[in-house]
Amino acid sequence: MIKVEHVTKRFASAKAVDNISFEVLRGEIVGFLGPNGAGKTTLMRLLATYLAPTQGRILIDGRDVFLHSLDARRRIGYLPENAPLYPEMRVDEYLSFRAKLKGMPRRKCRERMEEMKVLCGLKDVERRIIGQLSKGYGQRLALADSLIHSPELLILDEPTLGLDPNQIRAVRELIRTLGRRFTVVLATHSLAEAEAICQRVFIMNHGRIVASDSPERLMLQLQGNASVAVEIAGPPDEVAERLRRVSGVLRVLPVEPEIGGPESGSAQWRRYRLECQPGADIRPAVFGIAAAQGWPLRELSRETLDLEDVFIKLTASAGRGQVHD
Amino acid sequence: MTNIIILLKRQLRAYFHTPIAYVVMVVFLVVSGLSFCRPLVQHLGEQIGIGQLLFSAPYFWVAVLAAIALITMPLFAEERRTGTLEMLLTAPVTDLQVVLGKYAGALVFFLLLTMPTAAYFILLKVLASGMATLDFAPIVTGYLILWLIGSCFIAIGVFVSALTRSQVVAAIGCFIAVSILFFMDTARLALPGAAAQEVLAYLSSTQHIRDFAQGIVDTRPIVLYLSLAVFFVFATVKVIEARQWK
Repeated sequence: MIKVEHVTKRFASAKAVDNISFEVLRGEIVGFLGPNGAGKTTLMRLLATYLAPTQGRILIDGRDVFLHSLDARRRIGYLPENAPLYPEMRVDEYLSFRAKLKGMPRRKCRERMEEMKVLCGLKDVERRIIGQLSKGYGQRLALADSLIHSPELLILDEPTLGLDPNQIRAVRELIRTLGRRFTVVLATHSLAEAEAICQRVFIMNHGRIVASDSPERLMLQLQGNASVAVEIAGPPDEVAERLRRVSGVLRVLPVEPEIGGPESGSAQWRRYRLECQPGADIRPAVFGIAAAQGWPLRELSRETLDLEDVFIKLTASAGRGQVHD
Repeated sequence: MTNIIILLKRQLRAYFHTPIAYVVMVVFLVVSGLSFCRPLVQHLGEQIGIGQLLFSAPYFWVAVLAAIALITMPLFAEERRTGTLEMLLTAPVTDLQVVLGKYAGALVFFLLLTMPTAAYFILLKVLASGMATLDFAPIVTGYLILWLIGSCFIAIGVFVSALTRSQVVAAIGCFIAVSILFFMDTARLALPGAAAQEVLAYLSSTQHIRDFAQGIVDTRPIVLYLSLAVFFVFATVKVIEARQWK
């Protein structure tokens, strides 16, 4: 659906977007993740035709968005950062203004506005003045505006910025639902958000894409040595010794002992972190030992690196690379 | 065209949602009312041209210039500051439509602002029944030059507003720009050479007003103001387009 070919955007002082190429398929939810100043907003503005690329081109269904700008804008629903709105207008007024501006026929307008107000939870504020709404409602109104002309492509810049946790969850749920019908491109600096919504994540830093994959695979790629957490009650030395002998275990690291233990024995609960070889799943073997020795086992879990770690690893290393350049 | 009308309606609504519009209207009407009364009282019992009543009062024109600066200052500066310009320019409308929509909004507001002053002439006609026949031609041409100058200066104001994100800067910039244009002929005395003085006389708004207020319609100022208006609308479109390349 979207094809970005070697796009560079240079501002007077620096390159905000540096030779980026990627493709987004119809129906995909794609996230751009990066620290502040990574070039996400500039990229979103380029996609939304607010800015023109210095080099390269952006195609939507094979047509250059810059040359066929109006046509592209009709297919795009864009939610800019901070959801700018006219504070003096009422919610209804604003939606109807935007719908008309986007070329909706008058008769369809009413119906579509009602639909959007229900979808975005704006029904109870429809007569309110925008300037008096909370940030969350403003964000939802801007989202309703970006959807009102039934676009095929949704470009969202920080869609959950400034919302409270409940609202964040609601907006994410909404985007996920929308993702079934639309293609969604969103920029965010929240890893949890990318992890929760996106099928594919691009990590940006200094205007470049430093990694791209599904959130799960990105984590796998960078996982390195996996580790397993075990909480077991048994004679400490023997437990450690036995665990060390399990094939695939590289190191056994005891974690601080906990107070209290099972009523039956004198042994206390102890927690261990087992570093394992990549790809090895040692959990059945650990369970086997505990069962054979009669040691109570109350936790056995693989510790996965979350996207946050991946993100820090990638952006930090890219940052170092930049310094050496 | 429909897009321009949609934008015009929103702009007008935005004016009447803010208190500044009402303040401008009240102050403007007070100043123009005084400008109408003063010559009337001063020349009591004498014979004066009807066009001299409103259109030749300098205070009235200063109020016009100030009103234009205040009308045009929020057009782009405010949208740039709050970021709504991004919403506007990513909607399926051309930059020209956006500029024309805002320009037309300001122009319509200006017409609404100046139209009530026509009541002064009507009142005069009604109250001063013993007066000799009232000649309507200078009044019509007076309003013609007022709206011509207005349409040109509003275009300048729109242009200045597009250059900045501060309303205050936009208002001051616009007021200075249109004041220079308007009061250009005062520089005439300082300039050496008859040619330069003559050029200024042609460009001077005060000279045009003097003619039109006597009922003389000269096509040269009409062409001048309309072409300047077109030029500044065009320049504003270029300023708005320039965001893409900066």
